[in-house]
Amino acid sequence: MRLPAAPAFIPDHSALPGLDPAWSRLVTAQTVDGERTFHVLDTGPVLEAAGISPTGTILAVHGNPTWSYLWRSVAAATVRAGQRPGARQVWRVVALDQLDMGCSERLAHPGLPVPATAEESGQPSTALGYRTLTGRIADLDAVVRKLGLDVQARQGHRIVTLGHDWGGVVSLGWAGRNRDLVSAVMTLNTAVHQRSEDPLPAPLRAALAGPLLPGSTVVTDAFLRTTTALGHPSLTPEVKTAFHAPYTADAAPGTAAGAAERRGGIGGFVADIPVGPEHGSHAELQRVSSDLALLGRESTPALILWGPKDPVFLDRYLADLLERLPQADLHRFETAGHLLPEDVDITEPILLWLERAVPTEMDRVQPSPAADRAPSSWSDDQRPLWSFLDEWRDQDTLAVVDLAGTHPGEVTWERLASVVDSVACGLQETGVRPGDRVSLMVPPGRDLTAILYACLRLGAIGVVADAGLGVAGMTRAVRAARPQWIIGELPGLSVARVQSWPGRRISVRTHSAVVASGLRVEDSIYSMMDRHAAERFTGPAPAPSDPAAILFTSGSTGPAKGVMYTHGRLAALAALLRDVFDVRPGSSLLAGFAPFALLGPAIGATSATPDMSVTEPASLTAQAVAAAADAAGATIVFASPAALRNVVATAESLDDAQRSTLARVDLVLSAGAPVHPVLMAQVAQVFPSAQIHSPYGMTESLLLTDIDRDTIEQVTSADSDQDGVCVGLPVGPVRVAIAPLRADGTSSDTLLEGPEAFGVLGEVVVSAPHMKAGYDRLWLTDARSKRDSTPERDWHRTQDVGHLDDDGRLWIEGRLQHVVTSPDGPVAPGGPEARIDALAGVHRAAVVGVGPVGTQAVVAVVEPSPVPGVRSPRPGLADAELTRQVRSAAAPVPVSAVLVTDTVPVDIRHQSKIDRTRLAGWAERILSGGKVGRP
Amino acid sequence: MTPKPLKVLVTGSSGLLGAGVAGRLVEAGHDVVTLQRRPSGVTGARDVQGSVTSAETVRQAMAGRDTLVHVAAKVSVSGPAEQYEQVNVQGTRNVVEAAQEAGVERMVHISSPSVAHAGTSIVGEGAGPADPDHARGHYARTKAQAELLALAADAEDFRVLVLRPHLMWGPGDTQLTDRIVDRARQGRMPLLGPGAALVDTLYTENAVDAVLRAVEAVDRVHGEALVVTNGEPRAIGELVREMARAGGAPAPRLRIPARVATSAGAVIERIWEWADLGRSGDEPPLTRFLAEQLSTAHWFDQRRTREVLDWTPRVSVDEGLERLADHYRSV
Repeated sequence: MRLPAAPAFIPDHSALPGLDPAWSRLVTAQTVDGERTFHVLDTGPVLEAAGISPTGTILAVHGNPTWSYLWRSVAAATVRAGQRPGARQVWRVVALDQLDMGCSERLAHPGLPVPATAEESGQPSTALGYRTLTGRIADLDAVVRKLGLDVQARQGHRIVTLGHDWGGVVSLGWAGRNRDLVSAVMTLNTAVHQRSEDPLPAPLRAALAGPLLPGSTVVTDAFLRTTTALGHPSLTPEVKTAFHAPYTADAAPGTAAGAAERRGGIGGFVADIPVGPEHGSHAELQRVSSDLALLGRESTPALILWGPKDPVFLDRYLADLLERLPQADLHRFETAGHLLPEDVDITEPILLWLERAVPTEMDRVQPSPAADRAPSSWSDDQRPLWSFLDEWRDQDTLAVVDLAGTHPGEVTWERLASVVDSVACGLQETGVRPGDRVSLMVPPGRDLTAILYACLRLGAIGVVADAGLGVAGMTRAVRAARPQWIIGELPGLSVARVQSWPGRRISVRTHSAVVASGLRVEDSIYSMMDRHAAERFTGPAPAPSDPAAILFTSGSTGPAKGVMYTHGRLAALAALLRDVFDVRPGSSLLAGFAPFALLGPAIGATSATPDMSVTEPASLTAQAVAAAADAAGATIVFASPAALRNVVATAESLDDAQRSTLARVDLVLSAGAPVHPVLMAQVAQVFPSAQIHSPYGMTESLLLTDIDRDTIEQVTSADSDQDGVCVGLPVGPVRVAIAPLRADGTSSDTLLEGPEAFGVLGEVVVSAPHMKAGYDRLWLTDARSKRDSTPERDWHRTQDVGHLDDDGRLWIEGRLQHVVTSPDGPVAPGGPEARIDALAGVHRAAVVGVGPVGTQAVVAVVEPSPVPGVRSPRPGLADAELTRQVRSAAAPVPVSAVLVTDTVPVDIRHQSKIDRTRLAGWAERILSGGKVGRP
Repeated sequence: MTPKPLKVLVTGSSGLLGAGVAGRLVEAGHDVVTLQRRPSGVTGARDVQGSVTSAETVRQAMAGRDTLVHVAAKVSVSGPAEQYEQVNVQGTRNVVEAAQEAGVERMVHISSPSVAHAGTSIVGEGAGPADPDHARGHYARTKAQAELLALAADAEDFRVLVLRPHLMWGPGDTQLTDRIVDRARQGRMPLLGPGAALVDTLYTENAVDAVLRAVEAVDRVHGEALVVTNGEPRAIGELVREMARAGGAPAPRLRIPARVATSAGAVIERIWEWADLGRSGDEPPLTRFLAEQLSTAHWFDQRRTREVLDWTPRVSVDEGLERLADHYRSV
């Protein structure tokens, strides 16, 4: 089959939604084989017409089989941002259609594409006239020079490349060779290196399979259709048609070419994938990847935006990119895939990142708020996390009492210090290096404690994802964190094997060779203990600014997020527990709440793990608490409200001895969610001598404020007019500020503190030395959460809403995304919900909004208390009496409708976080006349 | 109020809204003429009896006026198209032309949210443009044409502001309130679907207030249409239940699936038209329009309305229901 040449053309924009005709132009440039004409999206003329001169150019390169249409959102957003008054940066977008692709010129080919041979290596085209990677990079260079961007760049104009798919390779390849012209690089899903030991991704294997290649890519539109079917969610038919448009028979006016004749480039691209060393473009790809490492060495700012649901560009290619560009900022959009610009808004991270990473002369130089402020060496008043292990290595007092699992036991400080040393030595011997990520799939107990502290001492980063996330959530978390190592027990390692989690495997116990090789286990912790018994670990100690751990959030509001802590920040957390909560060295704490069990050795406290299921905090019984407290002499108890509820429920069957053990407890800390005063009173009966505190915090900052039982009773008395749940005063060095809510339910950029903030509803913004260093591989989320940070101080946007009362106590009223935007102003659900909850006959209530932002109607959804012998009401409108009561309880918040349901959906981990998004969807459906169904 | 007394013509003053507006204008010291087919009963206003369909009558009533409040319309959900055309379209053309001739400076035109409604749910939207091509039924279509006519005449020296009151109810309202109560008393008031569709309504006194505010506002803002409601959307089932209760009737129990009702309404409507039953003044028990109105959400963004009119409703839905109960107890 011969493919004829055809000229470039300006497409008919009426069938290309989102594309402004003013951006389309033809550019004829001198290429390696003469003048060629490219279709180019160029926002330069539009900006010029508006009288705006760009400070830089985003040079965007599409992949296969898309075309510059892929970049329409970037073109639109940059033009919009540039026209904003006072815009500090103005970005021009230049996005070419590569030759044989999109609306650019079609080259003549005497036959269908075949892969370039080794003899053709380094040639810009194959014998059949198809562009190779070398030719593609040269074409891009030709367009850059034709437009004079190289000259401009030498005069201070910023050039930033942006690529996707094989356009990522072309743009990064060009950037690596033109480092003097390039200010920064950005790429979406791509790959610059194919390790010979890895198999090719399945879709490519299929497309490349010998005789199939021209069939699936050129003769038919199978490859094209397969690619545009990769949207999450699916592309609209209009957008799909627009992507296909240049590859159809009637695409170009005045040419008689059939559809297949227009698709030569698609096949040419696929044939040019360098599958092995014998391929003609293999050497060029090697050059691209080593040039890229130069960008890495020179720390050229780099941004990677990644859609993990990509069947071609798998996570291992991302890992490879990060090795070459260790300085890169990365955001993984967990819900997105190959066609990232279609799946999510990539313009917000791009514009925000450019503002920070590529400052123009007009910008004040802003240090990146992501930079950790912790100094690089330990000061006198800081205690490294392992300091008590060092100091107390000769003591035979108890460090850990472990009643969880099948092998309860006790460990002295002497033993723990020695085991931590042997494991650290063993890990190092096996190949674990400082900075390596180690996923810890080990249930809480003495093994986990020893392994974690060995990792900390070694400088490896512990990755901790709660088993409560479930297999799918854990898999997503582990893929996102991409640990180099997984340490686990059999169940965890089996899941890792089945789900193909990344990372080399180490088991805790020593297993038979058959089991070990089946699970690809290389070593075991117990074997390390034997091999290195009595050996001291003498490697260099990590600095306060070094990463220590990544903890995953519960994921009750979207995919779980990895939260990065440094050594300095965890040490500050331990110091806070010591100074504020009086957890002294030598004391003993019982932890039914995982994060705190692990802090015991850092505080110098004995930590006791009671017998309970990790995934179900509600399985903690009063007997288990008594047993652990007795064994460890514990006087401090940490537990979640769900666990405490069960402790209260099982307290009846305690015997006298157990009761007196619990009577020795002098502090109960309930963490994880607010505690109802009624539950607090019940807890007080179980622990009669204890002070009961309920600190407020989150994975990103575990302890922020604190309130005790007496104060709760005092502030929530009947005459209280405060909305929400009181979580008390900030502890220690914590600062709490309020960012007032706007009418559209978002929080403003202003932070109010002290009396100025009293009574103002807003997002709770916090600052503390022990809060997160950052979100892991979620650049955009991190940048948003730190938007208030200054060079002097880090702030964290919690996405909780609430207010401070006149005594400075914080009241939490819900989550930012659940704020109802009524025409009278934003309404936080927490206040009216608490008042409705207090009605007799109401088990749980949720307040949600229906309708457009700014004019939402307030809806109360009520789950009535079950009445024995009476069937729960049919979901739908509440009866007249309940409606009246709920309206008057909610006042002054105007309630449009009161609905009843048999269950208000809540999260699994805490049994308390209401799924308001789901409820709002249900309410919206039935209140607009739809079927009732169930929420 | 404008310091200088206005010379106002109120059309359609035999109805609840027109009479209410005329009465309040008189109270405020304005010089008021009313135009309607029957005596208005508004003390202190000069009655001109006649129809807006007569250009001559309209011209006479308009003489010497500077302000026009055009309420008159054929309001119903059935009947032959020509009647609607004559009253709603030609009638509006007549008053607009006469007003322009007479040098009237301002006009408040009463329209209906149905002019912009194509039958789907309305959830918190503003007032869209009137669209005769997609409006449902003769009433909505002709009111859409009338609104476009009025807005087309808007100019600096003839300022037009359009109000679209949504589902007016209250003591004395025969259009909606009495019908619901009557049918509920006879046990014939059905609920369509689960009755959970949210609808906006407007208590009559609030409607009168809003029109009076519009007479002032039209000098500041003109050439646009505003939906007017209480801004308290309620589930239709709850409203019907509470209105029935106010009328001393039991809560409706009869439930008809919404889809069944819509198609039944369409069939009944056609039979009515074919048999020309509308001529006697009777209305079909259910029309497609009504079925849609009673089973889909209809509530509106009131922010623009309240801003332009500088007005908030005085009587809440709950208070209105209490007053309605008092009213039915006394009659």
